[in-house]
Amino acid sequence: MKIALFIPCLVNQMMPDVAIATLELLEKLGHQVILPAGQTCCGQPMTNSGCFDAARSTTLKLLNAFKGVECDAIVCPAASCLVAAKENFHEFDNSPEAQAVINKLYELTEFLHDIAPIPAFNKPFAHKISLQLSCHGIRMLSLATPSEQMGPRFNKVEAVLANIAGIDIVYPDRRDECCGFGGTFAVDEGAVSAKMGKDKAQAHAATGAQYVVGFDPSCLLHLDGLIRRQQLPIEIRHIAQVLNAAL
Amino acid sequence: MAYQHNHEAMGSQVHAYKADIFCRDETRVDWHSKALWLLREKRDRAAGSLPEWEQLRQLGSEIKLHTLTNLAQYLETFEQNCLANGIKVHWAKDGAEHNRIVHEILASHKVKKLVKSKSMLTEECHLNPYLEQRGIEVIDTDLGERIIQLAKMPPSHIVVPAIHMKKEEVGDLFHDKLGTKAGESDPLYLTRAARAHLREQFLSADAAMTGVNMAIADKGAVVVCTNEGNADMGANLPKLQLHSMGIDKVVPDIDSAAVLLRTLARNATGQPVTTYSAFYRGPQVDGEMHVIIVDNGRTEMMKDKILAESLKCIRCGGCLNTCPVYRRSGGYSYNYTIPGPIGIAVGATHDNTNSIAWACTLCGSCTYVCPTKVPLDKIIHHHRRLKAEAGKLPYGKNAYMPLVGKFMASTTLLNCSMGAARTALRILPGSLLKPFSGAWGKYRELPVAPNSSFEAWFKKHRSL
Repeated sequence: MKIALFIPCLVNQMMPDVAIATLELLEKLGHQVILPAGQTCCGQPMTNSGCFDAARSTTLKLLNAFKGVECDAIVCPAASCLVAAKENFHEFDNSPEAQAVINKLYELTEFLHDIAPIPAFNKPFAHKISLQLSCHGIRMLSLATPSEQMGPRFNKVEAVLANIAGIDIVYPDRRDECCGFGGTFAVDEGAVSAKMGKDKAQAHAATGAQYVVGFDPSCLLHLDGLIRRQQLPIEIRHIAQVLNAAL
Repeated sequence: MAYQHNHEAMGSQVHAYKADIFCRDETRVDWHSKALWLLREKRDRAAGSLPEWEQLRQLGSEIKLHTLTNLAQYLETFEQNCLANGIKVHWAKDGAEHNRIVHEILASHKVKKLVKSKSMLTEECHLNPYLEQRGIEVIDTDLGERIIQLAKMPPSHIVVPAIHMKKEEVGDLFHDKLGTKAGESDPLYLTRAARAHLREQFLSADAAMTGVNMAIADKGAVVVCTNEGNADMGANLPKLQLHSMGIDKVVPDIDSAAVLLRTLARNATGQPVTTYSAFYRGPQVDGEMHVIIVDNGRTEMMKDKILAESLKCIRCGGCLNTCPVYRRSGGYSYNYTIPGPIGIAVGATHDNTNSIAWACTLCGSCTYVCPTKVPLDKIIHHHRRLKAEAGKLPYGKNAYMPLVGKFMASTTLLNCSMGAARTALRILPGSLLKPFSGAWGKYRELPVAPNSSFEAWFKKHRSL
């Protein structure tokens, strides 16, 4: 497939390794990968705060970066940015061109589960990992059944990782409780945000896992800051990095 | 910094400030969070034991939405059937009118002491101080409510109102107010003391008042749920009984009430059903029964399609128990009678600090927990937009958000400044940077900065 990468600002500027892993693993799977120019931000920091006027030009700039780009899918290694982009594109542009872009948007895990599954892994990843089930991915993108919901359960994140040899997947207590990042919540509500993150980091460390693995870089960056502040014996890894290491 | 400036300007009012104070006692935060999470776990077990749980939620949502859509019709039916049952019906447009009506009824019967079972509506209307100022003694009879009434505090949770108090603190309070043994904190001993004390109140009261969980239109009856039987002790002893309800409490019939009763207690505390679920459909012999139907802003809320859905709420408190922010900031940080997600949904409009709509990470857990599918995270987000459009943003957002918008929309600005930030993060010691990184650096280590952006890496490694 021909895939256009949607690399959110946080990943581009602060976590390029996540983007590189995403690129490499998609290439190893035989896809042709391009990076459309002119992407900055999905507008989430503004719309999340209620400031839709302030988000307009940023959102439209991102949308324009993808309009008319020839590709089969637009893949993003960040669930909350992906959700925000989808919603904001709808909000600010209801043209057929915008809808064509929206229809091609996929979060990486979603893409690897629903659209182009990984046929086989080549290398083992013999580590215990604690999955970080970030809110936007599970409750807005349905990557896994939220713990509040009853009935049949599914978990795309675990399903994508499960076939890697040697991998041991565990979950923290209160498995999908929010880590407390929440965009500007992390600075506006510093004390509560930090306490939520601290509790989450400790719950991950208490599993005895070597890595906290997640699909949302912003949650991971927040957890990383709290893990290092508390000197917990665990490190963050994005799901793309784990998958890339096993291919 | 705009944020710090505004934080101080708004003083002790904003949610973050009050939550910050609550967070200073981390042991208490952990205990508070754990106590409420236990309720969430009980809820999960109770909900999970019903194969039809998700269908019940869907039904509950549809029943409430249908009733709200045809509200005038159902309220009229309810009133007619109440009147036919010998119940006196009153209409109040707001809290002040509600309080005046209640006082008139009580005054005409020369009531000196009123026993009240828990009602968030009477809290919303500030009924207790109103009656007390007019010489009527009001006794809250729900154990948790009585505890906070004796401590002169408002409820900090809608179902477990004294959840913020430890048993030792209740022991000290009871020693002071009820004469129990000093230093005694055994829950059984304290509960027995409260029971004896409340028994005296029930026997000496002239009238009883309760909230209403559901009002059944086709029967002209009200349903009152308590775990302690206190509403029934109250309503069955004196000859005068009053029931206050919001216009949103009406349901079409007994079958729809049954659906909501199946989810209410399960979602609140994990019980199959509330211990006492009483249906009142007429006065006692020689007695009087009054129902006061209150609007107090609900009709206004229904004009906004998104906000209207918050009126589907049946006040189980499940969203508070699951909310990671509520559990770590406490009920008193919300600047409204009702805290937590539903408190934001119904209270943000009245929040003069304009901060409670932002006391949420939009994680969505509340929406999935809700037994009537109130889209709480959507409502909270919508409140933020309404506040922004009204120019009422907290935390300095009015000043900096347009700048962030311009900044993020410019590739050059973003690349230059982030490049500089990465360099600073790499070469300067953390201690030097922390004061400049605001709340992020106060609580967390700063990110380990990479050498370059992905875009630059891509140009170098993938350009043909």
